[in-house]
Amino acid sequence: MTFSTFIKAAALATVVFLPANAALAKDDLVVNLVNEPATLDPHMQWNPDSYYVYRNIFDNLVTRDDAGEIVPQVAESWKQLSDTELELDIREGITFHDGEALTADDVVYSVKRITDPEFSSPQLGQFNSIIDAKKIDEDTVVLTTKSPYPALLAQLVKLSIVPEHVASELGKEGFNEAPVGSGPYKFAGWDRGVQVKLTRNDAYWGEQGAFKTVTFKSVPDASTRVANLRAGTADLVVSLDSDLAMQLEGSTEAQVLSAPTERVGFMGMNTLVAPLDDPEIRRAAAMAIDREGIVEGILRGGETVASQMATSAHFGFVDSAEPIPFDLEKAREIVAAKGDAAKVPMKFATSPVYDQRIVQAIQQMLNEAGFNVEISMTDMATYLKAAQNPDQMARPQLSFGRWSCACQDVDGVQYPLLHSSSNWSRVNDPELDALLETGRTTLDKEARLAAYAKVQKIVADNTYIMPLYQAAALYGASNGLEWQPTANESLFLNRMSWKD
Amino acid sequence: MMKLLKTLREAFFPKSAKGIPVGVFVAIVAVLVLVAILAPLLAPVGPNTQNLMGRLKPPGTVARGTMFILGSDELGRDLLSRLIYGARVSLSVAFLSVVLSGCLGTVLGMAAGYKRGWVETIIMRVVDIFLSIPAILLAIITVAVLGPGFINVILVLALTRWPRYARVAYGQTLAVANMPYVRLSKAMGASWIRILGLHILPNIIAALSVVATLEFGLMVLFEAGLSFLGLGVQPPMASWGAMLSVGRNYVSNAWWIATFPGICLFLLVLSVNLIGDRLSEYLNPKSR
Amino acid sequence: MTIFLLRRLGQSLVALFGVMTLVFFIQRLTGDPTYLLVPETATQADIEAMRHALGLDRALVVQYVDFLWDTLRFDFGKSFIQNVPVTTIIASRLPYTLQLAGGALLVAIAIGLPVGLLLALARKQRWTNILMGVVLAAQSMPTFWSGILMILLFGVGLGWLPPSGSGSFAHLIMPSIALGLLSMATYARITRSSVLDELSKDYIRSAKARGVKTGRLVTRHLLRNSAIPVISITALEISQLLAGAVIVETVFAWPGLGLLTVQSVVSRDFVVVQGVVLLGALVTIMMNFLADILYSFVDPRIRLDGVSG
Repeated sequence: MTFSTFIKAAALATVVFLPANAALAKDDLVVNLVNEPATLDPHMQWNPDSYYVYRNIFDNLVTRDDAGEIVPQVAESWKQLSDTELELDIREGITFHDGEALTADDVVYSVKRITDPEFSSPQLGQFNSIIDAKKIDEDTVVLTTKSPYPALLAQLVKLSIVPEHVASELGKEGFNEAPVGSGPYKFAGWDRGVQVKLTRNDAYWGEQGAFKTVTFKSVPDASTRVANLRAGTADLVVSLDSDLAMQLEGSTEAQVLSAPTERVGFMGMNTLVAPLDDPEIRRAAAMAIDREGIVEGILRGGETVASQMATSAHFGFVDSAEPIPFDLEKAREIVAAKGDAAKVPMKFATSPVYDQRIVQAIQQMLNEAGFNVEISMTDMATYLKAAQNPDQMARPQLSFGRWSCACQDVDGVQYPLLHSSSNWSRVNDPELDALLETGRTTLDKEARLAAYAKVQKIVADNTYIMPLYQAAALYGASNGLEWQPTANESLFLNRMSWKD
Repeated sequence: MMKLLKTLREAFFPKSAKGIPVGVFVAIVAVLVLVAILAPLLAPVGPNTQNLMGRLKPPGTVARGTMFILGSDELGRDLLSRLIYGARVSLSVAFLSVVLSGCLGTVLGMAAGYKRGWVETIIMRVVDIFLSIPAILLAIITVAVLGPGFINVILVLALTRWPRYARVAYGQTLAVANMPYVRLSKAMGASWIRILGLHILPNIIAALSVVATLEFGLMVLFEAGLSFLGLGVQPPMASWGAMLSVGRNYVSNAWWIATFPGICLFLLVLSVNLIGDRLSEYLNPKSR
Repeated sequence: MTIFLLRRLGQSLVALFGVMTLVFFIQRLTGDPTYLLVPETATQADIEAMRHALGLDRALVVQYVDFLWDTLRFDFGKSFIQNVPVTTIIASRLPYTLQLAGGALLVAIAIGLPVGLLLALARKQRWTNILMGVVLAAQSMPTFWSGILMILLFGVGLGWLPPSGSGSFAHLIMPSIALGLLSMATYARITRSSVLDELSKDYIRSAKARGVKTGRLVTRHLLRNSAIPVISITALEISQLLAGAVIVETVFAWPGLGLLTVQSVVSRDFVVVQGVVLLGALVTIMMNFLADILYSFVDPRIRLDGVSG
């Protein structure tokens, strides 16, 4: 008797003792997140474990459909009144979970709440270009921005509408503990540290959810999440890498769901300090990276090699851009020709949340080309502090990241990574800065596209940053779950259902 | 010298051998130490040489003309080579942290137990303070302030573990300090350093050696734990703990990645614990 | 005796104060939570604004005095991340930690003590060596490895136990064993060596010579007199079980204080870390205090009045 037949026999034996498993009557969907939500007040924090949950409790002004297009939600339609004014037509007939109607007043209140510096929302920076929100009549609101702001609609995808009568009465803390929204699911309880429970909002104006209740649990260890899925104690798990997902392939109880995201994996270089202040050395570093190897050898989850810091889903994507070719021999030649200048030791700053397989692969590839790269792994807070050091020169020489602005606009990726004023940028090029500013503040689409085409050329010519691949999001799901994950990396429960 | 050898032989290969003689475990540790020292000679290829097209290959696979005798890991590195180099890291981290924390803890614990008074108060309260600070906090702070690295892993382990020795040394010293011969030698004017070294240390060394050997095994495990939490030695440096904490994610599709470092680590910790066990029995003459 | 106790209590409070001061300052050496709170696209101005809102831009001394004053009034503050009082967060985790620590201690003592005693009393027997090997083997695997193997075997393969999480007795079994096995060997060893120690003493020999029955010998003399190291270890183990279950809690998604500690340290949620450390320090220091007092009851040779010689 082999070990596995022993296990099977024993498992068979237990069926007698245990009640039939719960796979038949599935009223409850169990989702495993990494950590518990930080908060369920949508104006308080924008991190995945929080918005996975609260975006089901709240409706946002606008949202994205499965194809990634901005579509109406609370705002039924909108039109640009002037360069700085946007008129929103508020949908009638939406009610909050307590039965009160959602009105233009709630929209105005929500905008003012999140943009109030006193409220100190961490998301303030995403919305502080909105300087005013005015109710025109019962179902019309006008938003005013400081200056022309092409990304406004994309930002409004992230603006949840909270009920004024509840939020103002309960205050910041009270609302966090008992959030009331208008979304397809209602908040039912938060057992801190353990789980958050939601129940279906049967009075939802839009598409109804398929599950009566949904439970979000925090399971920090990825292997345990996979085990839960295989054991049937979880129906949907997030944050898997391709190797963990591989364990589910061919399994009878679970499947892997994947979708390309708007995340671009990249290798960041500090172009202001030696040795990467020399464009030729940067070029050599870029040529040393075998992106096909990374995408096809390691990732294999539907990723594609990126030619630029954008995906085709981004506004401002340049069709004609070509990826920097992989050429180890050429890279070696350049490094050898540069001599000691290229051998200055470099620190590759990273943190455990980044895929360490890729970090180590890049380090090894650079060292094979003749560079002297050492990995410096710290916890996330220490890494972020170094990466966003107010002194541009002190930011890491090398780093690996996967950037998403959740806005599908090149501005949200390239401005923070390349504009010299930004926290993350390790580039200082006035011409580039000017073009990025044009792109950020011009409403005319053609003019923006022209600016971003120039940006792409400058970045590629100078090898300011090394785009690696368009990332995919992988989820593990029980076989019975029907769901197509989308580029925006949200878990909209009312877009999921059980297979028959 | 001959006498020492004879003593050691009696300790590890007692005439009344029962079960597996401890010599077997000494031999295991000796082999592992030897492997660690001779790593560059033994390893078939470099521990960090990658082959992205040869990832997760089972033992015996031939890729690019070399055979992965124990298979390859998640970056197509030769597992055997990493295992051999990993012995260096795992053994030296554990050894150095035991030495560092053991010396510090023993000296402070004996001083507290013998001198009593304010010395005792201060030392034992510092022990309390250190026992109260979560190890994970100390680990993250060390990394945040000093930067990550091999030496800092040892520092983290030593900083978190010395109170253990201190408390044992303290308790034992208290028990021994009132013995008649200690009092006598004190009355005869022996310096306290002499008393601690000549009279007290030999009496408490048995208990401390039990702690130290247990700790050695624990340090191997703690280093692994730090790796699991992302605070261990820097990648791509191989340690058994780091390999195991990555390999555990591959149990059902590439069992070899975790199994081999797991076996090595298990054997090392078990052997050291058994040796310590025998040693403590032997050093404690009353129990024979 | 009373004077001693009072003095010892005073010292404990000073140590507690030391812990809190140390934790307050060393945490702040490692950065702050603002970078983790703001979205990636935040500007330096957004970060400064956030820091100001959290009160972290004030002088360190001012923050420290505030912290001391609040702590003295039993106001432990609100989490930066969750915006909920620390007491609420800790109160929600504490029951789980107590369950797990209790379960693990039960596993450790229920197996460790009898095994240790057996090993000492029957030390001439051949099988004791094998028993000791088994006990030590249980302690020779990292819990993150044995934990996932247990999950895959009992949770996934056999389906006997829920693979992770909390909520029922069945959920508690695997984490308790994973954690308890570590301490079990410690108990077995310490019990054995201290019983052996006692066995060699004259009074036992003479008692044996007088024909006192083994059972009576064990209960009346041996256990009592070899209790010091065991008590000492329990004091250490309890405080370690409370704080040190980090890895077991991570692997089994057990919502205890260990997991909370890691998560708060990693996210620089200073206020929560201070709360957890304060609680842990109270327990640790009290345990050591109790152990010291118990010493004096079981072994009068150690005189608590501090006058030696």
